[in-house]
Amino acid sequence: MDLKTLLCEREFIFLDGAMGTMLFDKGLKMGEIPELKNIESPEWIIDIHKQYIAAGSDIIYANTFGANSYKLSRSGKTVSEVVRAAIKNARIAAEGSDTLVALDIGPIGQLLEPAGTLSFEKAYDIYKEIIEAGCDADLIVFETMTDLHELKAAVLAAKENSDLPIITTMTFEENKRTFTGCSVSAMAYTIGGLGVDAIGVNCSLGPKELMPIVEEMARDTSLPIVLKPNAGLPDSVTGEYGIDAPGFAELMTELIPLGVKFVGGCCGTSPDFIRELKKAYSGRKYQKTVPALEPVCCTPANTVRISCPRVIGERINPTGKKRFKEALLNNDIDYILTQAIEQQHAGADILDVNVGLPGIDEKEMMVRVVKALQEITDLPLQLDSTDPEVIEAGLRIYNGKAIVNSVNGEEKSLQNVLPLVKKYGAGVVGLCLDENGIPKTAEARFAIAEKIVKRAEALGIDRRNVFIDCLTLTASAEQEGVMQTLEALERVVKELGCRTVLGVSNISFGLPSREIVNSHFLTMALTKGLTLPIINPNIDAMMQSVRAYKLLANHDKGSVDFIAHYGNTEALAAKPAEKAASDDLPYAIFNGLKGEGARITRDLLGKKDAMEIIDTMLIPALDKTGSDFEAGRIFLPQLIQSAGVAQACFEVIKEHLAASGKTSESKGKIVLATVKGDVHDIGKNIVKVLLENYGYDVIDLGKDVDCQLVVDTAIREQVKLVGLSALMTTTLPSMEKTITLLHEQYPGCKVVVGGAVLTPDYAESIGADFYARDAKESCDIAKRVFSGE
Amino acid sequence: MDTITIDKDLALVYMGTRGRDASVLMPLVDECEKRLLEAVSPNYILKVFGIERTEAGIALSGTGLLLTGESIASHLEGCDECALLCATLSLGADRLISSLAAEDMAASYVTDCLASAAIESVCDEAEKELAEKLPGKFLTWRYSPGYGDLPLSLQPEIINVMNAGKRIGLSVTDSLMLIPSKSVTAVIGISRTSLPKAVKGCIGCIMYENCSFRKGGYHCGS
Repeated sequence: MDLKTLLCEREFIFLDGAMGTMLFDKGLKMGEIPELKNIESPEWIIDIHKQYIAAGSDIIYANTFGANSYKLSRSGKTVSEVVRAAIKNARIAAEGSDTLVALDIGPIGQLLEPAGTLSFEKAYDIYKEIIEAGCDADLIVFETMTDLHELKAAVLAAKENSDLPIITTMTFEENKRTFTGCSVSAMAYTIGGLGVDAIGVNCSLGPKELMPIVEEMARDTSLPIVLKPNAGLPDSVTGEYGIDAPGFAELMTELIPLGVKFVGGCCGTSPDFIRELKKAYSGRKYQKTVPALEPVCCTPANTVRISCPRVIGERINPTGKKRFKEALLNNDIDYILTQAIEQQHAGADILDVNVGLPGIDEKEMMVRVVKALQEITDLPLQLDSTDPEVIEAGLRIYNGKAIVNSVNGEEKSLQNVLPLVKKYGAGVVGLCLDENGIPKTAEARFAIAEKIVKRAEALGIDRRNVFIDCLTLTASAEQEGVMQTLEALERVVKELGCRTVLGVSNISFGLPSREIVNSHFLTMALTKGLTLPIINPNIDAMMQSVRAYKLLANHDKGSVDFIAHYGNTEALAAKPAEKAASDDLPYAIFNGLKGEGARITRDLLGKKDAMEIIDTMLIPALDKTGSDFEAGRIFLPQLIQSAGVAQACFEVIKEHLAASGKTSESKGKIVLATVKGDVHDIGKNIVKVLLENYGYDVIDLGKDVDCQLVVDTAIREQVKLVGLSALMTTTLPSMEKTITLLHEQYPGCKVVVGGAVLTPDYAESIGADFYARDAKESCDIAKRVFSGE
Repeated sequence: MDTITIDKDLALVYMGTRGRDASVLMPLVDECEKRLLEAVSPNYILKVFGIERTEAGIALSGTGLLLTGESIASHLEGCDECALLCATLSLGADRLISSLAAEDMAASYVTDCLASAAIESVCDEAEKELAEKLPGKFLTWRYSPGYGDLPLSLQPEIINVMNAGKRIGLSVTDSLMLIPSKSVTAVIGISRTSLPKAVKGCIGCIMYENCSFRKGGYHCGS
């Protein structure tokens, strides 16, 4: 017997019920590692399995839920020993029956980056070890997962190291989200896309409460659905579960119309529950649901359904942007993040990410940027590169379902890119060009589109995941080609049923008043069925076209979105009045007026030299806020706000200098890091903002930073000052270690430390050169170090 | 949990306002509060255990958990049971604070302070429920690993015993930081007889040197 046969032969597949609940009844203590019982008391485990088999389970879950190297680290047993013993126990119990044995795998127990400290790669390795140890099982089950990224690592580890079928369930709360904020649809599309055999839900709630969650899942997957609920809800103090076996079974039958195929129980259930379940299900038929799946891309918390026009923001791309190139060369990830946030606020639904530039490691940069972007925005990403290796690295680390930009009709491209799209379950942009370049006619472009779709489908990529780009040519050079593009687009929509992409801005290259041409071309394309315009959402005219179109085409029901953007709404937060057309830069800084500050700086740059603005206006204003803060006249949030305005002003100056081929003068470089093991970085971030505003170049290594990485960076960048932050007593040893290594390997470099648990005495005792009480003091110390005082 | 109320005065103390007029901050504080409340799904779990005093420490019945140190022994004096509390504001708070850090550091900082105040409200709610479920009994205040000489290394064990990873998504790093970061684990003593009024002093607290309350002439009530 195997899973495939079971799926064909049975109406429903019965799983088992709780293992933990049964073990507690046998005498397991709270807090003990249940998986060790595989070795210490195999008879307990075999007995529990036998009870479930007798009750009618077709699949039993071996007692391997927490058998990972992290949870077993202090048990004295290896993963291999425990997993092999567990599978053996299950096999003994199943002897003489058709029951399948599942290698049951739960969460590692530590959170992945960025919230936690576990890396994606390390999580992958932990799962790989379990999967290799459990190779004698009949299938692999991942359950009780709450982190989509962790589940992705787990599924990849299974796919790449085993041929066993995979079923996966996540645990959702009543708000239809997992604890880490993953939505049902994001799970369905991301994990379904990785090629598992079934998906579903387990634990947390009873069958009744899980109903709306399963309903949602059934709308977003055509895979068989797995359902393993708890015996109702536990009492918050006693922990007792609410419903009995017959009640449970009765409720479970109500979920049959939603397409459940695998049924069993989780916490609080027992063999009786499975027996009753089997009874209640007998004579019932599996009701496969056939949802009309939409093309989507997603992150854990945000599923973008490409059923109406969705804006792809084009700004994360160095092409033709000096300031962006400079940022890439200087590893200035923060600049890239501001581009993301700006586009998000302007209304982008998806962000294109292109970080290709000669002289940088594009693959490494893609991974860094994807990670950094996903930490600060929920917008799905479109990974844009001509190098398949870069694409794969981005797809692997991406949390959710991404879009690949792009494949084209060239044989090499089809062969290199499409398998990646399939493996990682992504969507893909198909460019209508091939070995011979961009065809002139609509006819020929359509033919390439058709070829791309055919090749994608041959690999099992559904055409709803292929977004065809009929390519915009420049109207000034090839005026007759404009309508060819639109004609091809219309045919792709009508005849291939695919969604379409178009980079819009190229149309007006070389023409005056480009916005007029761009926004009108955009509207023309939208009426032909364009769904994914790639534009600069920061330009009002472009978003106006999109929003007006969505209103007129009846996508924006009740004009809600349009009115929200263009109706007269009052500003929500009371802020100090913006002085009309003022050029009072200090006023803007003192009152936290970011937009004003940037505007005034831009105006001033026409009249004054950049350095003069910095020295006579920005720095004195910052000094005043600093001393106001010290004197208690303003509070820390105001100091940070003022620094934020100054930062916006400096950014304008940097852009101005980059455009004229100059670089801004730096007062010196400082490395900042929150030490190894510490993930609380707000203090360090505040210090960074302030230091940058005094003209220092801050190399921010982030949080949980390896001690040696701090040293290596300090040496490579030849910095004079390193700032370290630690929040907890438990992470102070990493701070001390970092300081020791720095002093050993890079003598002469000064170290300033800060953080909640530090004191001046303690700072001195671990070898720090300075202790900073707050962010303002860090700036004073930097001033001293760099002026050589 | 359905809703929580954030003690904004407490959040302002965290911001270092030290009793001065902070009305200038209120527009920002109110805006951040609104976003924070939308972003979080607070949750807590409680469980009552019998306790047994041994040479090595206070053992919680039915578990392998041992509360060591003098401070917890004196905290639980007169108690015959104790409750373990695990509470969290959820990862939504961490995500909001870090995404704000990239766009508006001041808002990120204010939200961080509000979140610190909010988790106290969650714990207050939990304590209220515990008191309601145990009529006629008396509770001590919440005592957390890291207070006095109660070791921080208990964090993973408490999380394990309470199954807090599975039940409320709470985890702990190797360096013993709780994640989500706005989370609390605590021991609450339960007594059948009225407890002597606890001395809620600062001496012995690990935060003694750097506590923003103490600097401002306040105390946190612990």
